[in-house]
Formats: sequence, C-alpha cells, structure tokens
Amino acid sequence: MAAVPDSGTVHLDALGPRGACRTRVPDVVTDVTGAEVARLSTVPPVFVTRGLAALRKAGPVPAADLDAILAAAADAFVSDTVGGLGVREYESLVSRTSGTPLPVVRASTRGTARFVQEARRSAGRGRPVGAAADRRDPAVREGGAVWTRRGDVFAVNASGNHPGVHRLWLEALALGYRVAVRPSRREPFTPHRLVAALRGAGVPDDRLVLLPTDHRGAETLVRGADRAVVYGGDDVVARFAHDPRVLPQGPGRTKILVTADTDWRDHLDMITGSVADEGGTACVNATAVLVEGDPAPLAEALASRLSALPGLPPQDERAVLPVQPLDRARALDAHLRAVAEGTRALLGGEGIVDDLGDGSAVLRPAVHQVAHARAPQLRTELPFPCVWVAPWSRTDGIAPLRDTLVLSALTGDGTLVDRLLAEPTITNVYLGGHPTYWMAPGVPHDGYLSDFLMRSKAVIGPP
Amino acid sequence: MPYEIAAVLDAGPADGVDPDEFVRAAVRWHFDPETGSPYWLDRAGRLGFDPRRDVRGVADLALFPDLTHELRDVRATDLVPRGYGTRARVLNVFESGGTTGAPKRVVQLDDWMRHSSDQVAGRLRAHGLPVGAHWLTVAPTGPHLVGDVLQRAAAGLGGPGLSIDMDPRWVRSLIAAGRTEEAEAYTDHLVEQCRRVLLSQDIRVLAATTPLLERFAREDDLLEIINGKVEAIVWGGTHMDPDTRDLLSTEVFPDVRLIGMYGNTMMLTALLERVGSAASDPCVFDPVSPYVFLSVVDPVTGERVEVGERGRVVVSHVSRSMLIPNNAERDTALRVRPAEGQTGDAVADVAPAPTVAGEAVIEGVY
Repeated sequence: MAAVPDSGTVHLDALGPRGACRTRVPDVVTDVTGAEVARLSTVPPVFVTRGLAALRKAGPVPAADLDAILAAAADAFVSDTVGGLGVREYESLVSRTSGTPLPVVRASTRGTARFVQEARRSAGRGRPVGAAADRRDPAVREGGAVWTRRGDVFAVNASGNHPGVHRLWLEALALGYRVAVRPSRREPFTPHRLVAALRGAGVPDDRLVLLPTDHRGAETLVRGADRAVVYGGDDVVARFAHDPRVLPQGPGRTKILVTADTDWRDHLDMITGSVADEGGTACVNATAVLVEGDPAPLAEALASRLSALPGLPPQDERAVLPVQPLDRARALDAHLRAVAEGTRALLGGEGIVDDLGDGSAVLRPAVHQVAHARAPQLRTELPFPCVWVAPWSRTDGIAPLRDTLVLSALTGDGTLVDRLLAEPTITNVYLGGHPTYWMAPGVPHDGYLSDFLMRSKAVIGPP
Repeated sequence: MPYEIAAVLDAGPADGVDPDEFVRAAVRWHFDPETGSPYWLDRAGRLGFDPRRDVRGVADLALFPDLTHELRDVRATDLVPRGYGTRARVLNVFESGGTTGAPKRVVQLDDWMRHSSDQVAGRLRAHGLPVGAHWLTVAPTGPHLVGDVLQRAAAGLGGPGLSIDMDPRWVRSLIAAGRTEEAEAYTDHLVEQCRRVLLSQDIRVLAATTPLLERFAREDDLLEIINGKVEAIVWGGTHMDPDTRDLLSTEVFPDVRLIGMYGNTMMLTALLERVGSAASDPCVFDPVSPYVFLSVVDPVTGERVEVGERGRVVVSHVSRSMLIPNNAERDTALRVRPAEGQTGDAVADVAPAPTVAGEAVIEGVY
C-alpha cells in the first residue's frame, strides 16, 4: 500500500494508524443506478490486526484538547473540503449511493456536526452521579468512585442506511477510547468524512482509524477490539446476544401507540413523519401503529398522506422517499408481499417499486392493516416507509409493545405510561406527540453508550 | 517400444527433456493397453479422439475434457498404470480439500514423489534457503498433499522438519455451521503449539498457511521470535492477496523472506514463487516442465486470455504415474509469460474465484 497520489477518480482511502492507504485494486463504489462513483480501498484482515495493535499502543486523545478538536472537526465536517470532497459533493454522493433523499442527507450533515461539537459533554451525561470523572477530584480523597474505561479500543461495524448512525461512536472517542470504524460498503462517505475531519482537527492518526474491509476483516475487527458496536438484523443480534464485549444494534421495531383518550387526527403529522421522515430508513422510523379502537380510519388517513409523496431520484432537491437499485427494490417488494399476505393493504398492495428507468427505483410507502395486535407482521421492519396498523385493547396489554426501540405513546393514561417505562424491552418512551425519530446529544439512544463502555471503580486515598 | 517410452518418462526435473516429447510419451504410456491405468483405458474409447495418435505435444492436452470430477468415485488402485507391474509403489492416496463437494483422489507413486521433491527442493535452494536448517511446518497432513510436500521439502534440504497438524476440513465445517468461536479456539490451539516449538527450537524456516500468518500478526512475542531467528517463511495452501503479502513482508515480518507456494492436489506437487521478485511485485508461479502445465482461460469461452489479463487457472499434470489433463481450478490468476525453458503460461496473483451473492432480504434497516 502506497501513499496517495491525486487523480480524477474519487478515492476513499483507508485511514490507517500511519496515514491514508490505497490498496492495489480498490473496490468500486456504485450509486443506486449502478454507475461507478468512487473507489474504496478495502484493506485485508492483517491490516486490521496491525491497526488495532497501533490503537492499543497509543493513549487516549488528551481530554484537555478534546473540545477544541471537536469544535474544529464539526466546522470542517459541515463546511470544508475534506478528503478531496466539498460538502455539497459529499452530500450528493451519500444520497446517490445510499439512496437517501438529498434533503435528509443535508439535514443530517448539520445534525452530525452538532453531535461532534457536543460529543464530550454528551458522553459525560452518562456518568453516574456518584462517580468522579478524574481521580484527582477532591470528592474521591475520602473514598468514592472514579469513572473508568472498560477497555482501550472500540470498534464499530457500521451500517449505511442513514448518515446519522456515525454519531454514536463519537462518544467513545470522547471517553478516551481509540476507535476503529469499518464503513459500510454501500455508503462509506460519511464515516470517511467524519474520521478525516477529526484527524484533520488534531486527533492523531493512531487514535482513530477508518478500516474498510471485507467480511473476514470485520470478524478480525470485532474480535480484536475491547468493545464493539455491530449493526445488523436479528441474526447479528442473536449472534452477539451473549458477548459482553459487543453491543449489537438490530431492528428498531419502533412503534406508536394511540389510546382511546387521544384523537389521532390531532397527531397525523407526527404519525406520518414518524413513518416517512428521514426517508423511512432509520431504526427510529415507526414500523407499527397500534390504535385502541378501530384502526381503519387512521390507516386510511395515513395511506392518503403517504400516497402523496413524490417519487424522485435521491439527489433531487425535493426527494423524500428512498431509492435502491432496481433488483434490490424488487426483492424488497417480493418480500413485503409474502409477509403481508392476509393483511389489508391500504397502500403499496400493488407493489412498492417505482422504476425510475435508470436502473434504480423509488421504494414507495406501504400501509397495511392487520387483524390483531399480535399479528407477526408488526415485527417486520423494512428500509422504507412501511407501516403496519393494528387494533390494540387493554386486554392485549403491553405484550404487543415489547421489543421496541422508540415507543411514542399518544395517551393521557399515566398508569400505562409508567408500565411502558418499566418494560425492559422498550428502549425509549416519547410522550406528548413527539415523533419517534427525535434525538439529541446527551440523550440516550440505546441506553447511554457509556453504560457499555465505562464502569465505576472505588478509589480512596490521596491523589 | 515400451523401453523407449520408459527412458524419457524417467527424466528428472533438471534433465531438460523436450516437453512435447515427454507429453507424447506419457500419453502413449497411459493409453497403451499394456501400460495404462484401468481408469484411462476404460475412458479411452469415449474420448472422441485417439490420444496416442492425436496428442503430439503439450498444446494437444487441450483435447482432453476435464474429467477430474470422476476422481471422487474412482478406486485408487484403478489409477495406477499397469506398466509398473508389481513394482508399483503407491506411497499416498491424497484427497482434494473437498470445498466443492466430495474430495477427489489421486495417487502418489514413489517415482513421482522423487521428481516432485527434487523440483520443490531445487526451487527452494534457488531462493537461497539454508541447507540443514530446522523447519516448522504448520500445514494439513493426512489426506492432504501440502503437508507431505513441505515435510519432504524440509528433508530434501537436509533439515529436520518439526510439524504441527492442521485439519482444515474441521475448521471449514465449524465455520459453515456458524461456530466461529470454536474455529477461533482451534486456531488458538495451533498458535499455542507453534509458540512452544518456536520458543524452544532453533527454527529457521517456517512453513504455514496465510490465515495462520495473519493470526501470528496478533502475537507480539511470536513476531519478535520469528523476526529474530527465522530466515524464510514459505506460505501456501491458501491464497494471499497482494496487499496482505506486502504488509506481511514489510511490516509484520520485515526481517524474514516470504516465499509463496501454489499447489493443489490435482497438480500433485507445488509451485514456488519465481525467484527475485520484490514484495510489491506480483507473486509469479512458473509451471514445472515437463510435468505441470498451466493455462489461464476465460471462464466462459475457455479461450486463453491475453498476457496480463485475469482468467481461470487450468492445470495439467503429466507424469509416468498419473495423467490429469485440463483440470479447471476454482482459482483465478493473471496470465504471465513463463520463465525461460518453461512451456505454457505462468500465473500471478492467484485469487479465489469471485462469488456472486444473491439478493436475500434480511429484515431491518441495516
């Protein structure tokens, strides 16, 4: 692997512990139409092994430098030319390759910059009130707790469904972990830009690396790190369920609950937005809406709203729906039809593929009404606005609401809210008509990441 | 004329016989009712050509269909040419890895083993490998050819060969069953055995597979020992991509020479990397005249690709002991002009055939 000469092609080099690396035959990155847009240097497993060894040798990014670095990186991410790409060019490439609507990508650029800026403070919000951040804290002298890392090296096996997924690992860096990011092959631009911006702002190369790699390299990465976050389906969640070093991020199965005391008509914007904003591709987009009483009117109104969304190429300024290569769109369509059998299709029953004629297709929204709250379809999360509407009654209880990343509850029933909060498999509960995709720095997404990365140790004695 | 035939077929790798003459003689031997194997004599009538008349040289090996799939079921004894009579000494029955179904079987006879070992040892000497040095070989043995080749190579260079067993079929079945933890534990077990040998013995040549060398890269103490006292690493048994090769030779084992070995069961020997290339050059493997011939072809049309282009590797083995013509490997490689005195193609940057993933839907947004 050699240093990097300049050329016309967009090259995403691996960002190793000793600088950028270009492999002999970089992989082709294609957009949703199949056109080549960039070359990605996919490094072999032994590069991953050596990269992790270098991270382990290096110390944390000094805490005193962090705020200045993060502020500069946030600015660079949102406005500079980074890794040869201006921000507009970057956003266009993300949109074209991931199929995410351009306005969603643009909003995410600004959002991510904010998360970068806030990463240190955000990470600190997860610190137990009884633990000091530093052993020199006077509170520790007479006996107390110090917040410490559980390891040194943190790895992310990232997904490419939404540029916002890369906000998570910033906290690990802020907590002193050295971080290795494996970008998704589908959308490597965002992690590349983020890692390059942080390195450009002063994070040394041997503290933060970008390791595009194949399946074997990913195994090496996750196995070699002290802590890892891995994105995937139920198979990935099951595989790592008993590995304390790995935090799997699986399907969100995000839901909305409307009880009889609340008129859904007052919240139709929020419900529609929860299903379809962000292109419907995020784990925090609603997969199911459960309604106390007759779900049909809500399903019909929702279908009517969603049917009005235009089908456009992803890089169009007015795009709102996700786009995928035609083959994948057809595969998703076939899968949806198979799953939806026996349900009432209000939208998308005739197919969700809107062929753009250039090798890609818009994934149009789908709304299906199921017969009861225990219908298995409620667990089917797909990467476009696809929602299942179900009746719910008090006798169903909270069982149909389990396994939910975000539950937005439209209800005035405080007792019910308490039960939802107490339910271990519901990760987040939003009230008062807040959309399921709401997120902010310092507010946990799947618990505080620091719950997974840090522990408190008893310390007593002089500093 | 069996006696005439016998003379050229006994040629050693350094004897410089004319490969066309050798191939002609070998085909006559394998298809003569008095000397051929039951296997080939049984098929002779179904080939659609007369091998003894039509095969005039190396190029005519292309007339043969790839019949290697039949080697899954043929009785090993039927592979031994009758012409050996009672003198036939079958040393081994080797089996292919079995990645694509049941393993294929070949026989290693005594005379072939000597030619094979001579050419491997000769090429290793050309690489400047020390004579009489201790080897550590970590490779599949038993039904697998590669461990045997390496152990005989060590012996051929006068070095005592220490070895550690490896069972790649078990590892593959663990991985296929998703039992990656167990596969990893097995690798740890191999590494631990290597550590003991490397710590206590004066090992100067290490022979191992690519995954194992990659695994060593995690063990700082082993890297120190290997870089400290090992002079050469012979890698083989699996592919090594050029970026890995470069990293292993410049960063992981900077003080050790890396020598590639490419072979497979149907070849019945192993090819050593061409002498004199740098870590950043492509890793070239020359054929072994007059026994092993390579061609690089378009996987769809079967036509030879241009020099410098990538195609599928087709291997022919020709010796008195066996004839395995036109075996289409699963490997791809760049076609390279062979070294002086060699016939057919040489290959570079051997890689596995690309696999095409289907469009399965996994639920979720990731």
